[in-house]
Amino acid sequence: MAERPQPLQARDKLAFLLSVVPWLMDHDGATVAETAEHFGMTPEQIREAVRLIAVSGVPGETDSYQHEDLFDIDWDAFEEHDEIQLTHLVAIDDAPRFSAREAAALIAGLQYLASLPENAGSATLAGLTGKLSAGASAAPAPMGVEADPAIASALALIRQAVERGVQLDLVYLNASGEKERRHVDPLRIESFDDDWYLRGWCHLREAVRTFRLDRISETQITELPIEHRAADLSLPDRLFEPSPQDLEVTIDIEPSAMPLIADFIPDGATSSETGGRIRTTLRVSHYHGLKRLVTRMSGVMSVVGPESARAAVAAWAQAGADRYRETSR
Amino acid sequence: MPSASTARVPVEERLFSLVLALLATEAGLTKNEILSTVQGYRQRFVVDGDNGNLERQFERDKDDIRDLGVPLETVDSPGDAGNNQTLRYRIPRGAYQLPSEIRFTPEEMTLLDLAARVWREGSLSGESRRALLKLRSLGVAADEPTLGYAPRVRLRDAAFEPLDAALEKRLVVRFPYLKPGEQAAREREVIPLALVQYQGRWHLSAEEYVDGGRTEGARKMFLLRRIVGKVTTGRPAPERPGDHTATAVAGLEEVWRRGIAEVEVTTDTDAATRLANRRDSERLGEAGPGAERLRLHFVDMAIMADELAGFGPEVLVVSPPELRAAVIERLEEAARG
Repeated sequence: MAERPQPLQARDKLAFLLSVVPWLMDHDGATVAETAEHFGMTPEQIREAVRLIAVSGVPGETDSYQHEDLFDIDWDAFEEHDEIQLTHLVAIDDAPRFSAREAAALIAGLQYLASLPENAGSATLAGLTGKLSAGASAAPAPMGVEADPAIASALALIRQAVERGVQLDLVYLNASGEKERRHVDPLRIESFDDDWYLRGWCHLREAVRTFRLDRISETQITELPIEHRAADLSLPDRLFEPSPQDLEVTIDIEPSAMPLIADFIPDGATSSETGGRIRTTLRVSHYHGLKRLVTRMSGVMSVVGPESARAAVAAWAQAGADRYRETSR
Repeated sequence: MPSASTARVPVEERLFSLVLALLATEAGLTKNEILSTVQGYRQRFVVDGDNGNLERQFERDKDDIRDLGVPLETVDSPGDAGNNQTLRYRIPRGAYQLPSEIRFTPEEMTLLDLAARVWREGSLSGESRRALLKLRSLGVAADEPTLGYAPRVRLRDAAFEPLDAALEKRLVVRFPYLKPGEQAAREREVIPLALVQYQGRWHLSAEEYVDGGRTEGARKMFLLRRIVGKVTTGRPAPERPGDHTATAVAGLEEVWRRGIAEVEVTTDTDAATRLANRRDSERLGEAGPGAERLRLHFVDMAIMADELAGFGPEVLVVSPPELRAAVIERLEEAARG
């Protein structure tokens, strides 16, 4: 039947066309490069959009898209100097409203940011929610993200260290259970939902490391200047990079629980179905993490192999269960 | 028949032309006028012929445009109400444009940029990407933040998208819900009120229908993770005024305050550090050599039991007894393998 376009792509392009026209009206003679930079797009995407705008318009009196019914640009400036000048305007004169869902996404995002200590009780945040609602075409859908302020004190210290350009002194308990005092140059705060992380240059390991904030204790600000800045380092996009030393473990898991372990499944892992559960491969850096993960999800997941992994999980859980035998005696 | 000279017009050009045409008209255009004159339709319009495909295309385009927040209106012809042929379409300029008093400072732009980046997956990433384009339209550049942040909220529950869409369209929904401790999922029918992420998990606040058609009027909280099958939407939901997000959060806070557990943790372990760093954790003092007693709060007993079981021998649940039993059950199951 008729074409089924990719709606996302076309909608993004339409949103851009409706947004770039008012901006170009206020920035007469902007270069393609400036426009691309401002909207976070490629120069070629900008040129493509400008070419489309230049031939677009309204049907007009004659219903036939006459010259005066169309946008026009200074073609010489565009083709020879990569500059954009709208010389004739049609229909649009201001930025479009947000959709209800767009406003809802931003409002819920802002609510999540309210958990950052510098935003706590921020009048700016509260005011923004009102502005976004007023700037939406319909009432934003009720959606909220309430984040945990438990780590607020650690976040506040990290921020102070960044402002002063000094190292942090902290005690970190790593995932294998080793506790070490470290000096860290703070680079970036990252989070997934309620889990917060510090990316920093670790002076002990002399490398960029990721620290879970709830595994940090005794955080202090030092007088030592930092030696590394985020701008000087390339921080990998992924919090945890796979390493050649990683161990692969075969598991069976309830299909509904699959999203919970998505981070541990290596690219290209195969999965099959066995008795209503999915058999697949997990990649873990060591069994310390694995035994905790599997025991936490014992109702929906079990280890198939290798035997050493099964044994590590079983021993961990058994040690836990044994504690209750001792105490109930 | 389409020829080389009337090659297919790109989707965005057709949508853009439709928006421009409807913004430019005061009185509105009839469907026939749109299909026969607007760029992207007119090339495929058959005079006095069957334009069924084109009409269906127009219906989809209207939805796409409205989803973008463009207020596409219909106006009945005077004296001819309800007649599809004389119904007129238009986009009123005042409702289309961002009100002139809605403008943002560079500081606000910085926060909005960051808020948009919270969504990296699912449909909300597209929504926030388009919202950012509209914000950029206003020409304000964001301040450079001092400390880099990369905050992210996940949308991994399959039920999120359909529930979000149902909230938006105000529809009643049905879904199979598996409560902990029950063997089989039970089909629920609810009026969705708000989606709230609390303690890292998505919850749906809703009013449940009982005995087919009658609601109890009481709100219930559903964990999206326990929605184990397809969410289906039904009839329009009755109006339920109020700030449902705030009410839902307040309700969860109340459950959190009431949910109290006492545990013993072995010092210098993952459990000791992480449970002490949990929100509202209270240190109750030593519990024998190398152990400390903590008072913890929780919302959901089954989830709390999962988390505590993961710490294996590093934590011992003292109370409540139901939580203690649930942790033992999990540990024994994991020990069996």
